[in-house]
Amino acid sequence: MSASDDQADVERVLAGEISAYEGIVGRWQGPLINLAYRFCHDRGRAEEMAQEAFLRAYRGLGQWRKDAVFSTWLFALATNLYRSELRRIPARTVSLEDIAEPQDVRASDGGLEDHDRDLAVRRAVFALPAKYREALILFYFHDMDVTTAARSLGLPEGTVKARLFRGREILRSKLPQLLAVPRLKEA
Amino acid sequence: MRRLIRHEEIDRILSREEEILPSSGFAVSVMDAVRREAAAPPPIPFPWKRALPGMVVGGFALALVLISVVVAIAQLGGGAAAQQFSMPLQSALPPIFQGHLEYAVIWTVLALLMALASVKLSMRLGSGGI
Repeated sequence: MSASDDQADVERVLAGEISAYEGIVGRWQGPLINLAYRFCHDRGRAEEMAQEAFLRAYRGLGQWRKDAVFSTWLFALATNLYRSELRRIPARTVSLEDIAEPQDVRASDGGLEDHDRDLAVRRAVFALPAKYREALILFYFHDMDVTTAARSLGLPEGTVKARLFRGREILRSKLPQLLAVPRLKEA
Repeated sequence: MRRLIRHEEIDRILSREEEILPSSGFAVSVMDAVRREAAAPPPIPFPWKRALPGMVVGGFALALVLISVVVAIAQLGGGAAAQQFSMPLQSALPPIFQGHLEYAVIWTVLALLMALASVKLSMRLGSGGI
């Protein structure tokens, strides 16, 4: 994905060539849908939110100041929209207390299979307060890049780092039973 | 015996989030929406020039009402100083209003409250809030 391609397409769209927007949609549909999916874990809703993000980006294309790359602007816009959408209609969540109780009792020692444990951790992220959840979602979506996550969230890096730390601490404190010692594969 | 999950484990688990692919018609659907958006007429700007005189008159009327309320409160309070302050205003009013200022203020306040309530109700109805 080339930043110069984005810039060229934006200039063509602003000049009135609407079909040039197809290039932008084609390049960014995957990332935008996947980001939305991480916010809502609902494929249909993720596509609806991503479509709305593309529409808003189209309307606001003239507001993109080229001091940042197009993708940074697009992700910030999409993140802002997804956060508002999730505040308006929250994704289905369960409480951290419910997640912390192992639901799969196949393992007699109380530990979970790896897959179930991973799933429980992901569900636990959803049960976190919004500010920690959003920081975690953006951090892992951007391959653990705090700077990019902070830009998408429109927050200082220090704030994002603090929220990441606090969010992971909450996860750690609420999920100890997912890692019962006898099932550990490490020494 | 249990232990806390480590940050590295959380990193490892959350970094492996499943990726989903856009449905086949997604890009087409977005472009349809964009073309509809482009074809739609631009929104009509708010007519500030026409609205401004009305807003100025409204603001002036509101200021008058507020002053009347303050005067009425001072009169109802019955302080000697307030009496002195309100007398010139009372005498400046036409004879028909003299002695009925309190009622006028009460009715004005009631009317304003009703107007506010009806505006709020109509706005909620308009936005589909009810």
